[in-house]
Amino acid sequence: MLNRRVTWGAALIAAAAPLASMPVHAQSASERAAEAAKKYAGEEITITWEAGLQALDPKNFSIPKWEERTGVKVRVVELPVGEMFTKTMQEYRAGTGAYDVLNVVPAWMPDLAQAGALEPLGPFIDKYDYRADLEGIAPVYRNNWMTYQDKVYAIPDDGDQWMLFYRKDLFNDAENQRQFEQEYGYALEPPKTWDQFDDIARFFTDKYGPELHGAAMFGKPPYAQRTFQERFRVAGGRFFDPETMKATINTETGVEVLERMRAQVDYMPDGVQQWGFGELLSAFLKGNVAMVQSWPPFGRWAAGYGTDSEPLSWVPATQIAGKVGYAVPPGGASQMAVGFSLSVASNSDQKELAYLFIQWINSQEISLQRVQLPYALRDPFRESHYTDSEYKSRWDSAPEYLQTLKDSAAVGLLDLSIVQTAAYQEALQRGISRLWAGDDPQKILDDVAAEWNEITERVGVERQRKVYQDWASKPNAYP
Amino acid sequence: MTTRDTAAGSAAPPGWGRRLELLADRKFRYLLIVPTVFLLLSVTVFPAIYTLIVSFQDITLMAEDRSFHGLMNYQRLLEDSRFWWSLVHTVGFLLAALALQFVLGLLMALLFVEWMPGRQVFITLLVLPTVISPIVAGSAWRIMYEHQYGPISQIIGWLAELDNPVLWTADPTFVYPAILLAEVWQWTPFMFLLLLAALVNVDKSQVESAEIDGSTYWRTFWYIVFPAIRPVVAVALLIRSLDLFRVFDKVWILTQGGPGTMTELISIYIYKVGFQQFQTSYAAAMTFVVIILLTAVVVLALRRMGVSP
Repeated sequence: MLNRRVTWGAALIAAAAPLASMPVHAQSASERAAEAAKKYAGEEITITWEAGLQALDPKNFSIPKWEERTGVKVRVVELPVGEMFTKTMQEYRAGTGAYDVLNVVPAWMPDLAQAGALEPLGPFIDKYDYRADLEGIAPVYRNNWMTYQDKVYAIPDDGDQWMLFYRKDLFNDAENQRQFEQEYGYALEPPKTWDQFDDIARFFTDKYGPELHGAAMFGKPPYAQRTFQERFRVAGGRFFDPETMKATINTETGVEVLERMRAQVDYMPDGVQQWGFGELLSAFLKGNVAMVQSWPPFGRWAAGYGTDSEPLSWVPATQIAGKVGYAVPPGGASQMAVGFSLSVASNSDQKELAYLFIQWINSQEISLQRVQLPYALRDPFRESHYTDSEYKSRWDSAPEYLQTLKDSAAVGLLDLSIVQTAAYQEALQRGISRLWAGDDPQKILDDVAAEWNEITERVGVERQRKVYQDWASKPNAYP
Repeated sequence: MTTRDTAAGSAAPPGWGRRLELLADRKFRYLLIVPTVFLLLSVTVFPAIYTLIVSFQDITLMAEDRSFHGLMNYQRLLEDSRFWWSLVHTVGFLLAALALQFVLGLLMALLFVEWMPGRQVFITLLVLPTVISPIVAGSAWRIMYEHQYGPISQIIGWLAELDNPVLWTADPTFVYPAILLAEVWQWTPFMFLLLLAALVNVDKSQVESAEIDGSTYWRTFWYIVFPAIRPVVAVALLIRSLDLFRVFDKVWILTQGGPGTMTELISIYIYKVGFQQFQTSYAAAMTFVVIILLTAVVVLALRRMGVSP
């Protein structure tokens, strides 16, 4: 009897032995991270986050939850997005180790990674078995925003993109449909091309203006340079000759894009050249504009989701709830404008703990709650976010919203992301401001191209070619 | 001690001990100011020297190359038209703003130099803009210029019956008036205060004598009042010139140097190069050239004012 017991016991132990060496799959990624972080209870890490509404997620929701679960304190340093890169680099260069977790705009990754400011995350991901969970991130973000020259430096944490929002009620109106078809010879539907977009916008402006305009856009140069980036590539443009690295934006395609942008001002609200996020949002929510291309929160707030919460008290009351349709932008591609990933600062003295916080906050379980916060500015970025039944029940057209978000993200176009991206973007921004000031588009683009060439020379043609080729080889660099 | 030693000691001049005491006293005094001098050197001279050293290196975003690169950055600077244009913008902006602030400040000071009911209250109210942080003032003016709801656009649009709003900070015609107005609004009161203080101290008897002798207001002002306030005017102009040369906040908030590079002042250009593009050594070279230019101007100005630097 005893022998039999011993034999069975030995067999069980032998069977269980391999399991002991395997990761504990019973735990979710968030649980694994939280459990591992408990040994650091009482310690503190510092994270950078975009100032304002963005930071309410960690401050009001994520951090209290994390602290309760792990006993690890987290201090949030809020930075305006325009200062984040500068501050991150300054602290790195000064060697202060002031930040542990970094919010990184993917376009900065080549600069930060080359400078050595980011810690490679591969070893941590393997140690805490996060690879499977990362597979749940939508391919467009996973394949484009995580790596720099084949090393993982960041984990995508935001589903930024510019999708098209339009007034369903105006598009579905029988009289509008009849008149439009009579005038333009095709059916009134969400535009598939920028020509159609122009036709429809003019039609609505002519019919309903000046109370309602057919369309509006981000005119402020920091935004509008991204409009150029998107439309230029949709029209077949390429930023550089991959061999010589000479800028190729001053082509006929580039000039046509700028000319169209300037012509569009005619049917848009006065002063649209200076519109940023607030102006465009306000005009759309008040029902003064029929079509806009913007970040996903427009869709949520237009439906009234979360806008009765205190942090969103500045958002104008929506006049168009239930009247908004969602579509992939004209040209079949959406700019993945800005976006955020999470990284560990290379000079942090709490790298492991910093990583654990990232894994926890970015995990499927926690991120699903975060993207549904009424005041969230983190947009769905995981497959499970798009299909979640709770999210789909948030407002009537939420299923349609989430599906379009997914479709639009799949055809997203990356922001240009090479060494010294800020310098290239700044030159383009100045070009856009000259466009609004009335300069000749060809002259503008010739000047911008000359500046881009100078920057490339300064960076080093060979060095930049490698980085550009790495970027251009990503699936969503060009359509 | 020998007799000879004693004799030699007694032969020492009577003031020797006192001299030693004085020397010790002086050393002690120098010792007392050493920390202050050290502090001042560390926050003024050291950064200047360090900037100079960095300007001969090639520190960029990508590499901290601390080897000596000679005059590479200075050579680049000579060929950088954007740098020279930003200097031209700065000088133009400085001259326009300084002239406006001086004229308006002087007129206001002349208005308030005599007693009037509520004088103190008015002066206090007029001085308020100077206590506002420039970045806050810039933000306030950005709202004022906002084309949809900004009061300036609303009022002017209504008065001029304009169909389209003026894009104050994007239209090349209006962008300089817009930033000048914001600057003049904030710092004219400073000029006004200094000039008012100077005017109050002008010898009244001389002015009264001139008036009794039948001098016109203008002649009295030009030959008696202005010479009396001239030193203060010179100092006020110098202080404001230096301030205007390094204006950043308001212009950054309002235009970020646009449209194009039309309002890109030297401070904005250096910021972009140094802190957005992290071309640290090149930014240091530009900074050093600006320091040299400013120092030369200040030395000349002080000489002109009869103050030896």
